Amino acid sequence: MEKLVKVLKKLDRRWIFLLIFLSCIIPFFITDLFDSDFSISKETMRVYSIIDGFNEGDAVFIDFAFDPTLQAELLPMVEQVVKHCFDKKVRVFIYYPYLTSIGLGQNLLSDILKEERYSRMENGVDFIHLGYIPIDVDMMVFSTYSDFKSTFGNEGKIFKGIKTMADIKYIMTFSGSDHSESYILLQRRFGYRLGAGVTAVIGPDFVPYLQTGQLDGLLFGLRGAAEYEKLRQKHGADKIHNQKANLGMASLSMSHLVMFLFIGLGNFIYFYERKHKSKT
Amino acid sequence: MDIINTVIDSTILNHTFQIWMSVLFTLMMLSFLFRDNPLYKLGENTFLGISLGYGWVQLWNITVVPFLVRPIKDAYLDFQPYDLTFIFWLLMGCTMFFRFSRNKAWVANYYFAFVFAYAAGYEIPVLVQALFIQGSNMMKPLFEQPSFFEISKWFVIIFGTFTALMYFFFSKPHKGLLGKTAKIGILILMINFGASFGATVMGRIALFIGRAQVLATNYEASIVLVILISIFLFVYFKFFHKEAQLDDEMMH
Repeated sequence: MEKLVKVLKKLDRRWIFLLIFLSCIIPFFITDLFDSDFSISKETMRVYSIIDGFNEGDAVFIDFAFDPTLQAELLPMVEQVVKHCFDKKVRVFIYYPYLTSIGLGQNLLSDILKEERYSRMENGVDFIHLGYIPIDVDMMVFSTYSDFKSTFGNEGKIFKGIKTMADIKYIMTFSGSDHSESYILLQRRFGYRLGAGVTAVIGPDFVPYLQTGQLDGLLFGLRGAAEYEKLRQKHGADKIHNQKANLGMASLSMSHLVMFLFIGLGNFIYFYERKHKSKT
Repeated sequence: MDIINTVIDSTILNHTFQIWMSVLFTLMMLSFLFRDNPLYKLGENTFLGISLGYGWVQLWNITVVPFLVRPIKDAYLDFQPYDLTFIFWLLMGCTMFFRFSRNKAWVANYYFAFVFAYAAGYEIPVLVQALFIQGSNMMKPLFEQPSFFEISKWFVIIFGTFTALMYFFFSKPHKGLLGKTAKIGILILMINFGASFGATVMGRIALFIGRAQVLATNYEASIVLVILISIFLFVYFKFFHKEAQLDDEMMH
């Protein structure tokens, strides 16, 4: 046992990196062996049921507040929400609070439009890129509650019936920072319905807002994206185009198991050495 | 121009080229996990250069031209009374440049005064309102909750908050009842830090899974480039890389 403890203590951290790397890569090749099943959280179900309850012509405002560094977690969420809106014939307004997110959002929409199911969606009619304006979110919300269209300076049939932000049925903010809190802080004042898609790192910070009703629905990290994909597949969406996050769930589980193993080993070494030091 | 367009179409805009570049740069950055090497440095500096260049072009096209250059041009060609507000704020923003002067740096304080006044006037009431919403949500009739789980949840929240705050009460020594409460508070804080750590790890792994998905989906490019990068690293560390010789001063 002492030899084992010595070996583990001297273990080069690059072996740990390699094991984590393999635990993430291997499930992509052996998908049958790692078929992960998981339950849907009530926060994800809330977002889904809100959008599912909309009628044709209702409007959703998407705050696309992340750049390519966070696309692994947040892009699948946005993709699913946008596709769900297209299925329900809900109008989608996409706003970019950061310059570096514009290209990502435009590429996403152009990829969605390449699918046959959504090839008839038109820019300016079914969805619109509102672009970037150099003001903070709070200023943007204040301004859109006076005049929605002139705040962004865009034109199109999509603006029919939308005079102010109050005409938007649901605001969804996707962010990996405390940017989403700007919407939450103004929610009680303006009374809009707000949902959020956030990374796993900051997800726990938003749970208190769910309880107070300031946030109505929350998609939490890669798991939230996978849950939304699963919900859509359950209700008729095809699997091929709708499982980017699901493919990553097996890798997430495997890598976490590897980490449990190493945390367990680390604790074992600590308590073993403490016991032997106290004996000597 | 046609030659340049053809070159750009066949390289940068070519889908296969984009995939190979994506895999190559992912592997170059990951090579740092083995050891710091020139490939990692190349990838890092390329990323820095491209992101800055892209950001500046976007900034110019989307922010500077429509919100600065064009309004100045319109005000010059056809001055309207409302242009005065634009000119006022333009000059106010330009006072920021006085920060570079040692003697005249005080001029920028006028602009900062507006910024701080706006922040205080807007942020403070909004934050206080949000705090009151959270606080009022805590004031619920405890034994009128729908289930025993809900009641016990509130006990945990109240007890955990109280004991964690007791840990930071330093007006009395942590002995007796206060000491025991503070110890429970440490435990609550540890559980909180552990949960945050777990969420952070989950988030970071999820980001890596995005990259792993790219590598796994394009396995031909991944295998070829892994082999090439491995050969490069072997040759580099075997024949070119020299370990820094530490002299006596650096050793102690």
